[in-house]
Amino acid sequence: MPDLNLLVASIISGLLIGAVYGIATVGLNLIFGVLRIVNVGHGAFIMLGAYLAFIVYTSLGLPPLLGVVAGLAVGAVLGLIIYYLVIRYLHDAPELATLLATFAIGILIQELVKAVMGPDSRGFVWNPLAAYEFEIFGYKPSSFQILAALSSLALLAFLYVVIYRTRLGLAIRAVVQDREGAMVVGIDVERIYAASFALGIMVTVASGAILAAYLQTGIHPYMGEIYTLKGFVIAVMGGLGSIPGAFIAGVLFGLFENVSYLLLAGIEGVQPLVLTRSIAFLLLLLILLVKPTGLMGR
Amino acid sequence: MTAPEVLRVEDLESGYGEMQVLWGVNLRVPERSIVVVLGPNGAGKTTTLRSIMGIVRPWKGKIVFKGQDVTMLKPHEKVARGLSLVPEGRHLFPELTVEENLLLGAYTRLGKENPSDTLELVYNLFPRLKERRQQKAGTMSGGEQQMLAIGRALMSKPSLLMLDEPSQGLAPKIVRDIMETLERLRDEWRLTILLVEQNIAQSLKIADYAYILEQGRIVLEGPAEEVAKREDLVRAYLGI
Ligand SMILES: Nc1ncnc2c1ncn2[C@@H]1O[C@H](COP(=O)(O)OP(=O)(O)OP(=O)(O)O)[C@@H](O)[C@H]1O
Ligand SMILES: [Mg+2]
Repeated sequence: MPDLNLLVASIISGLLIGAVYGIATVGLNLIFGVLRIVNVGHGAFIMLGAYLAFIVYTSLGLPPLLGVVAGLAVGAVLGLIIYYLVIRYLHDAPELATLLATFAIGILIQELVKAVMGPDSRGFVWNPLAAYEFEIFGYKPSSFQILAALSSLALLAFLYVVIYRTRLGLAIRAVVQDREGAMVVGIDVERIYAASFALGIMVTVASGAILAAYLQTGIHPYMGEIYTLKGFVIAVMGGLGSIPGAFIAGVLFGLFENVSYLLLAGIEGVQPLVLTRSIAFLLLLLILLVKPTGLMGR
Repeated sequence: MTAPEVLRVEDLESGYGEMQVLWGVNLRVPERSIVVVLGPNGAGKTTTLRSIMGIVRPWKGKIVFKGQDVTMLKPHEKVARGLSLVPEGRHLFPELTVEENLLLGAYTRLGKENPSDTLELVYNLFPRLKERRQQKAGTMSGGEQQMLAIGRALMSKPSLLMLDEPSQGLAPKIVRDIMETLERLRDEWRLTILLVEQNIAQSLKIADYAYILEQGRIVLEGPAEEVAKREDLVRAYLGI
C-alpha cells in the first residue's frame, strides 16, 4: 500500500493534468458535435500549440502561457483556411474520406513543424512564482502547472460564454439539434460549420500551449499522436459531441491515469507506465458498459 | 382572379442525386390567399416546398417571389426576404425551450431589431405556448409542437408562409384548430399561405385555390370549391 501522502499528491496532480486533458478534448468534441467529423489530426494541433508556447517564451521572451492567446489566433486562421480549402467539400463524402483528409492534414502540420523547428525534442523551464511555491502532501506542483490548469478553466469559460451567451452560440446549438430546422429559421449553416470548426481548432491549439506545462519529455513534432488517442478515449468516455462531457471525462482520465500509475508502481515486477495505458481503456470500457453513449452522451 | 401574386413557380424541375422528382411544376400564389397542394405519398410535395425554400437546389425553372427571381438563393437569404417554411416533421430544436425556439425563428432579425413585439403576437395566437415558454420543445405534445413550429415560422415576419402537412399525426380536433389558425392568419394577419396537405376535406374548406400533384406533375387545378365538388376525381388521383 503506497503511503497516504503520495496518494493524495497523485490525486491532486491527476486533477491538474485532468483539467488540461479536458480542455484538450473539448475542441475535438465540438467539431464532432456540429460537423459530425472526427478530426484524426487532432494531436497535431495540440503539438502546434505546445510549440507556440515554446516560441513565445524562448524567442519573444514572454510568458509561455501567452501561447494560449497565440494559439487562439493561429487556430482561428488555420481553422478557417482548412475548413474552406478542404472540409466543406467533404459534407456528403463517405466517412473514410473525412478521416483520411484530417489524418493527412495532421501529418502535413507535423512535417511542416519538423521542417521549421527540427526533429529534436525541445524543452524549457518557466516558474515565475517559484518564491510562492508550496508543498501539499509532499507534492510540489510548479507554478507553471497551476497557472496552466487555471488557464484551461479560463478557456472552458470562454467556450461556455461563446456557446451559451452569444447569437453565434445559439446558432451553433440550433445546428447541432436540427440542421434542417436551423436552415428554415434562416441560419447560414455553412457559416456555422466554418465558425464551429475554427472554434474547435482554436481551443485545441490553445490547449497545446497549456499542455506544455506538463510535458516531461519535451516538445517534438510527433508528440501529438498520443493525444489524438487519449482525445478519442476521453471524447467517447464523455459522450461524443458533448462539451461538458469531454471536460469531465478529461478530469477523470487524468485522475485515473495518475492514481493507477501510483498503485501499479507499488507492485513488484510491473511496468506502471505501460499498464496505465491499458487501465485507461479499462475505465473507458467500464463507463461504456454502464452508459453506452458515454457520461453525457444522448 | 388577378390579385397580385406573391409567389410564382415556373416549370420547376428538381430531385435528389440522379433521381428526378419534379417534372415541370407550375404554381401561383396570390396575395392574401390560401393555396393548397394535394397529392399522394411520394408525389413530390415536400420536394416542391424544399426546392422553393432552397434546401434542395432547383434543377430547372424559375421561382419568382414578390416580383424578384429568387431561384438560386440560399435558404437563409430567402428567409430574410420573407419566405418561411414549417417543415414536414416540424424540425424543432428539442433541447431548447419554447421561447428559445421562437427567438431562433427571428434569427435573421436578431441583433438588429427587438423581436418581442412579434413574440407577443405569437403568444396571443397560441396562448398555450406562453404558458409553456420555459418548457423544452421536445417534451411537448404533438399538437403543441405543431403550434410551436408555426409560431417559430411566424417570428421571421414572413410575407409567405409555407406549411408541409401540419395536420400529420394529429387528432381531428387539433387539426380543425390548426386550420382555423391558418384562416385567421390569412384574414387577420393578412398573410399569404401555401399549404401542402393530405387531409382533403379540411384543407379544401379553408383554401382559395387547389393544385393536385402526382408523380412530380400538376394534374389538376382550380378554385378550391370547384375542386371540392369533384371529390371523387381528387380521391382517385390521391389513390384513396
Ligand atoms: N432526401 C432524399 N433523398 C433521396 N430521395 C428522396 C429524398 N427525399 C425524398 N425523396 C424521394 O423523392 C420522392 C418525392 O418525395 P417527397 O418527400 O417530395 O414526397 P411527398 O409528396 O412529400 O410525400 P409524403 O406525402 O409522403 O410526404 C419520393 O420518391 C422520395 O422517395
Ligand atoms: Mg412530404
